[in-house]
Amino acid sequence: MRTFVANLGPWNPVGSAATAIYCLFICLPVAALLFKAVQQGNLLESALSETALLALRLSLVTSAISMVLVILVGTPFARLLARNRSLPMRIIDQLVELPIILPPVVAGVAMLLAFGRQGVLGPFLSALGISLPFTAGAVVFAQVFVAAPFYIRSAKLGFMAVPKEYEDISQILGVSPLRTFFRLVVPLAAPSLLTGIALAWARALSEFGATIMFAGNLTGKTQTMPLAIMSAMESSLDTAVALSVMLLIGALAILTALTILTRNNWRPAP
Amino acid sequence: MMNRPAGGQALTGARGWAKYRVGDFSLDVEWEAEAGEVLTLFGPSGAGKTTILRAIAGLVRPQEGRVEIGGRTVFDSKTGLWEPPHKRRIGLLTQNYHLFPNLSVAENIAYGLSGLDSTSRRERVTELVESFQLAGLEERRPHEISGGQQQRAALARALAPGPSLMLLDEPFNSLDVELRRALRSELRASIISAGIPAIMVTHDIEEAISMGDSVQVINDGRVEAAGRPLEILGQPGQGRVARLIGVENLLDLAVASLHPQDGTMVCSAGEAGLRLEVPLSDVRRDEEVTVGIRASDIILAHTEPVGSSARNRIAGVVSGVQLRPPGYEVTLQCPGVQLKCHITGTSLNEMGVKQGDELWAVFKASSCFLVRDQG
Repeated sequence: MRTFVANLGPWNPVGSAATAIYCLFICLPVAALLFKAVQQGNLLESALSETALLALRLSLVTSAISMVLVILVGTPFARLLARNRSLPMRIIDQLVELPIILPPVVAGVAMLLAFGRQGVLGPFLSALGISLPFTAGAVVFAQVFVAAPFYIRSAKLGFMAVPKEYEDISQILGVSPLRTFFRLVVPLAAPSLLTGIALAWARALSEFGATIMFAGNLTGKTQTMPLAIMSAMESSLDTAVALSVMLLIGALAILTALTILTRNNWRPAP
Repeated sequence: MMNRPAGGQALTGARGWAKYRVGDFSLDVEWEAEAGEVLTLFGPSGAGKTTILRAIAGLVRPQEGRVEIGGRTVFDSKTGLWEPPHKRRIGLLTQNYHLFPNLSVAENIAYGLSGLDSTSRRERVTELVESFQLAGLEERRPHEISGGQQQRAALARALAPGPSLMLLDEPFNSLDVELRRALRSELRASIISAGIPAIMVTHDIEEAISMGDSVQVINDGRVEAAGRPLEILGQPGQGRVARLIGVENLLDLAVASLHPQDGTMVCSAGEAGLRLEVPLSDVRRDEEVTVGIRASDIILAHTEPVGSSARNRIAGVVSGVQLRPPGYEVTLQCPGVQLKCHITGTSLNEMGVKQGDELWAVFKASSCFLVRDQG
């Protein structure tokens, strides 16, 4: 009995083996990428090529705009989802997850059918002189579509974890509901909000399928980093590697920031 | 006074009434608390006590009612007046205190002071930290201080903005028994010195008696009884109140004879049943009455005590002994009735009480009281 329990201790063989296999599985490709980048020597030169810089700038600008939109709309929406558990809201809650399950390519086709020139809103947008497909606006649309659920889901869970009593007490102390939200609820939910932002941003930066369907792959206009990597693979592996390393470093930076920012320095209420 | 709101206007009490229905639950109550006094709402869980506080604070909106705080009407269903919670100038102390976990003790106290400039805010916080003995703990987080300190910090936070009414929702629930007793008088003193009315919810009779200047017994969304705590809870006149506060012995007896010269009467449990001497009351012979006796008012003895002034001496057989902290509850089967008696563990051991023993229950006539079942 004793040995049996001991076998399931912190270093049990099955768990250790699974951990080793998984870590190798993730680390080997990453190491291979870094090894290739170091080996080729002209990493900086490739990273500073015009195509690479245009793609980087487009990715940063579009994903930043996407995140602002996601936060502006997603925050009040997530808040309502957290507080209102009526049947209609619970159904909407389920629908929020749809873009996570939907293949991004399908999302791209669907967006073309909605916002494209022949789409549902096409005539209306044309009348306003707006043409969305194959513009940077379409890139933002595609990113918001696929990334927003990650933020909304995380923010909703964060808001649900803030006990209603804190808000009641804040209001009784003379602080209006709106100011209570910014002074109390947002700081208390901050770890979840930041996690959501990081996950959504990472998803927006890596967006590929919906973008290529809805926004196309026009250098300097709609060609984001992932699309640029795809295009570079056809001509120069060196450029593809350089761009990949840049995205990898970005991902690691987000992961580190996330770990630091979401460290709780207070204990949640009992 | 340190806790009076600026301006020094005369402070008055809080009163109101509310009818509130939600689902199967309905509430129909009124209340009144004088400035510098504590009104306790006493009753079992689910009776609607906390809902009354929530209605006063504006966290729920009753279908009908009126809430007046410090001479100001904040809710009136007739005129449609409704002030949201943040405009009602109320202090609330909850059972878990709900100190904001991401803020320090000082930041918690300062939370409701956003109307002040930073200098006066700092002065006010310092003043409260001093008077609530929190000096040295200003920078601690709530989870880093003790339960009693948390209660004081939460009270300081609630009183900081100078509320016109203090609401206390089971404020001692998360403390152990000894700390409760110690903090009770401390909390009461703070509220009285703030010169504002307070309404406290509790299901603990000791708390209701020691904290309240007046008490309302709440059951099933209604006020069962109201008055001075000792009058209501010490000698419970109403059957339901007696049951609510847990008078252990409620005996259904008939009046056998009246003795006005002694101020007593004899009640019996049938022909062969026991006979009790109880204080004289306005009843007729043969009338059926319910007599209440506290289990802690009964003395147990091995032999019939002689030369005792206690009027009631009843023999019975022990039918059960149960642990009932801090002591034991002995159930005595007497002719026609069962008596529950509370004794300490030491008494139990010294007397060697066990099931089947024949014992005498002894108690004064004045320990018995008549319980009137109303409604």
